[in-house]
Formats: sequence, C-alpha cells, structure tokens
Amino acid sequence: MKAMQMFKIALVVLFIFGGLVGCAKPVTDDQANVTQPDMSQQKEVKVADDKPMHGDAVPSHDKMAGLKRINFDFDQFTLSAEARSVLGENAKYLSANSGVKAVIEGHCDERGSDEYNLALGESRAIAAKNYLVSLGVSAKRLSVISYGEEKPLSNGSGESAWAQNRRAEFKAVN
Amino acid sequence: MLRWFIVCLICCALPWSALAATEIEISSPGEQSIPLALTWFLPNQGSQSARVAAEFNEVLDADLDLSGLFRFVSQAAFLDDAEHVGLYSTQVNFPQWRMLGAETLIKGTYSLDGETLVVEARLFDVVNRRLLTGRRYVGERKDVRRMAHAFADLVLKELTGEAGPFSARIAYISDQSGDKELWLMDVDGKRPLRLTNHRSIVLNPDFSPRGKEVLFTSYRANNPDLYRKEIYSGKEAKISYKQGLNVAGRMAPNEREIALTLSKDGNPEIYLIGTSGRVRKRVTDSWGIDSDPSWSPDGSRLAFISNRQGNPHVFITDIFSGKTERLTRRGKYNATPAWSPKGDRIAFTRQEGGRFDIYTINTDGSDERRLSFGPGNSEHPRWSPDGRFIIYSSDKAGNRAIYVMRTDGTGARRLTDTKSDCRHPAWSPRW
Repeated sequence: MKAMQMFKIALVVLFIFGGLVGCAKPVTDDQANVTQPDMSQQKEVKVADDKPMHGDAVPSHDKMAGLKRINFDFDQFTLSAEARSVLGENAKYLSANSGVKAVIEGHCDERGSDEYNLALGESRAIAAKNYLVSLGVSAKRLSVISYGEEKPLSNGSGESAWAQNRRAEFKAVN
Repeated sequence: MLRWFIVCLICCALPWSALAATEIEISSPGEQSIPLALTWFLPNQGSQSARVAAEFNEVLDADLDLSGLFRFVSQAAFLDDAEHVGLYSTQVNFPQWRMLGAETLIKGTYSLDGETLVVEARLFDVVNRRLLTGRRYVGERKDVRRMAHAFADLVLKELTGEAGPFSARIAYISDQSGDKELWLMDVDGKRPLRLTNHRSIVLNPDFSPRGKEVLFTSYRANNPDLYRKEIYSGKEAKISYKQGLNVAGRMAPNEREIALTLSKDGNPEIYLIGTSGRVRKRVTDSWGIDSDPSWSPDGSRLAFISNRQGNPHVFITDIFSGKTERLTRRGKYNATPAWSPKGDRIAFTRQEGGRFDIYTINTDGSDERRLSFGPGNSEHPRWSPDGRFIIYSSDKAGNRAIYVMRTDGTGARRLTDTKSDCRHPAWSPRW
C-alpha cells in the first residue's frame, strides 16, 4: 500500500520534471512540450536617427586641370612607362605651382575582395606619391587616400570600364 | 527515505529522456528528404485573417524548403484532416496523412483579437502518431513573420538537434538611399531597415559574436575609419581612426579584441586592437598586402588574404605562435576567407576565367569544393550561425544583390531586388 503511494508520487514528480525541462521524450501529453515565448516582449531594433550629418559627406576635392590621372593593370600597383610619363608632367605642374597641395586617390575596379582592393588602392596612391617625391615634389604637399572599388569612374562591367576604374587621381586640397 | 527515492528517480530519468530523443542525423542536405505535410493554420478564435495564415505559411514553407531537408506533400492532395482544428495527437487523423505519404505533419491555429495575435504551432510524427514539438506564440499582428521563422528554427532543432538560423538577421551594405549605408533585414530578405545615415561610404559590416553590435568602416570623417554600433540602442562610436586604412574589422570570439587591417605603418597589415581602439599586437609583417582577417571559432587562428607570394592567396596564422601557412594552392586570385562556425571549413572566392565564384576548403587545405558556377561574379561568402547556409553577393541578375545557398551549393535564391546595389552580407548570430 505504502509502496504504491510512493510509486504514484514518484510518477507525478517525474511528470512535472519532464514538463519543466521540456525535453523529456517521447511526449505523453500534447501540452507538455509547449512553451510560450511572448513575441511582443522581444526588443525591437532601433532605426538610425535620421538627422543629416552635414559636412560629413565624402569630400569632393576639386579636380585640378593641370594634374592628370594614371591607370594600372589588374591587381597591380606598379607604374607603367605611360603612368611615369604622366606623373612627370604632374611633377612639373606641381613645381610650377608651389602653393598647391594634392590628395592622391587610389581606386580599383569592382572585381575582387573589397578589403583587398582598399589596400591595393592605397598601394597605387602611395606608388604615385613616391614617384612624385622622387621627382622632387615635397612629400608634405602630398597625401593619399584609398577608395578601393567604391568610387568607380565608369559603372559598366567589362574590361574597358574596369581599365578606366583602375586609377590614381589627383585632387587639390583646400 | 521517500525524498531519496525521488532524487534517485530523477537521476535515472535524465539519461533516459536524453536517449529517448529521436534525432535524425542529416549530413548532406538535399540527398535525404523527409516527407512533410505543411497545412495552412486555421482560425481558432477571434476574427479570421486569410493574410495571417498565408503569411505564416509562406515564411515557414520558404525556410523549410531552403533547409533542403524536406519533400513537401502536395497541398492539393490534402484530405479533410487539414480542415480540422484539433491539435492534440488524439484529434489528428494520422492514417489519413500516412496515406498521403507524409512522415511529418505541421498543423496550427491562430487567433487574432484586434492587433493581438496568438499562434499555436505543432510538429507531429505521423509514423509514430505523436507530437514532436510545439509552441504558442503571443504577439502583435506584425510579428507573424518572426513567429514563423522561430517555428522553422524549432522544427529543425527537433528533427536534427541543431536549431535553424531563420530568426537571425542579415546586415549588408546597400546604396538604396543614394549612398552606401548599413542595412539590416530578415534572413528571407524582408523588412529591410537602414541603420546608418552617414551620407558617405559605409563598408564591410560584421557582427560581434553575441550579435549585439556591428562593426563597419565608414568614410564619414574623410578617412576609412572603423566604427561600432549597438543594434538595439543605435549608439555609435568611432573606434579606430589611424592615418590610412582602418578596415575589415572582425571581433574575436571572446569579444575582447578586434582583428583589422591598418596601414598606419605604410603597408596594409593585420593588427589586433582592444575594443576601445588601442593597438595590442601586430599579427602580420610582410612586404605585400595583408587583409581580410576571419577568426577561427576558438579564437586562436586567423585566416586572411595576402599577396606576399605574388598573387592574392588565403593564409592561416596562429596568433599566439605566429606560425603562418598558405591555405589555397590553386588559382591566381583567392580572397575573402570566412571561417565556418564549426571550425572545419573556410569559404572563399576565387577568380577563374575572369569571374569570381565561391569555394570551400578544409582548414588543412584538403577537399576543396566549388559551390557557384556563374553567371556573373559571386563574392563575399559568409556562413549562417548553424553552418547550414552561405550568404553572398552576386551580380548575375544585373546589379549586385544578396543571395543565399546551402553549403553544398544547392538551393541558391536571391534575397534582395536588383534595383539597388547590395553587397557584403553578414549573418547575425542567433538572437
């Protein structure tokens, strides 16, 4: 009699325990395994504040009539003979206009890793800067920034668009 | 005496209940499928809404279909049990479902009272005529998609032991607003939400391992600087703003350090910084470009891209010993490594025939597999938190858009439209 009672209590405990942890299987009762997450209690994601960040836009350096852009081969930052001759002209311009400071922007085509292209664009800009310095332009007048593949000249796909986009540009700094 | 007996019983019950759990081991999705009958949820109380039922069904159907685990029994063949509200296993006409070839069955009800929505969802084992799992979801009418994603996660958990990743979110970069900004969407591409308003160029989002923050690079201050943003509060901070590149920030699994690429010393190298931006360690030191770090799940190694041997290849470095080995041997341009959450494989892109496609490889360099085969370029692969799926960007339909596929390359589907340029997806941890 007492054993029977004990057995009953044990069964009840086992049942409650199974219900509590919610992983006892097989499920004997359809409700045993059903819990209630309250979806309305979950936090909602906050939207960005919509205040415009004036003055924070990408700088639009003035293009300089006297400075020409140079182009690169795919995944390369070495200067071609043509690029070196353009840089030679740019160096002459900078020597003649000694008050001018320039930002050299390195750009890539859209192919490849964005992060790698950011690095490659910087290498291109630095290669151009170093060459100008070797031609006698003061390094203090030149700064570099890489835009990777983020600011293409041509939005097209294909070799002619890509060739245009693999470039270093020279902009005046105010 | 009695107390001791009960404790003993509970101890016995524990391993027993674990053993009794029926799990179906599924190693290669697509090759094995479970016949599933997915019924439309029926109105229980309150007002009827065909749209609620349709939306729940659509989301659940799409999630379960993407998993590749199921073969759906045609709804056209359903008999009268599909119209019966009863959700107790004694009320379900299992022989009827068995006759249709179903081995699993999903039934449910909803009640809509004003804007309050209650959904009851059940997964049944048709063969053994029993309830496998169920949930009661309480929320608002607009939460119906989240409820369906949550139930899809639960169904996968019940049948495979590993919950689905459908309740998570996807961060990505879109130029929909006119500038490249950080966005967040559901894993099926719905409910897009813009998180930044930098009106500049925002790049390379990555979630912190617990999913509360996103790291990204922005040109807002005229230099590619690294930012962190709390998703719930919207709070944002610039954490690394050294001269030159501050890009490809990836938070370590312990959330104490960030691996990123800095070019402050004149050459792009990978560094570890603290969460406030202080440099703690330089990881790479080569003449070439080192970028794109991706943490191993145990936080001891980094996969990254380097052109130190000529062409860009994926390397793995041990951050404690500094031992570095090249992982990819084929191709002339391998990029964007992404370490799988289970740690066994690395996804990356390779340029072959002028086009990028997605590959995976074991961390010892064996068993390389190609997952995408054009057209166009497929790039930026990232894993879902359960390792079942890879999310990526592709320009095969015009503008670059976000796609998802299974890790065996099957089931590819587009998540974003092609009106704007969308790239750089990152799947959040489970929320």
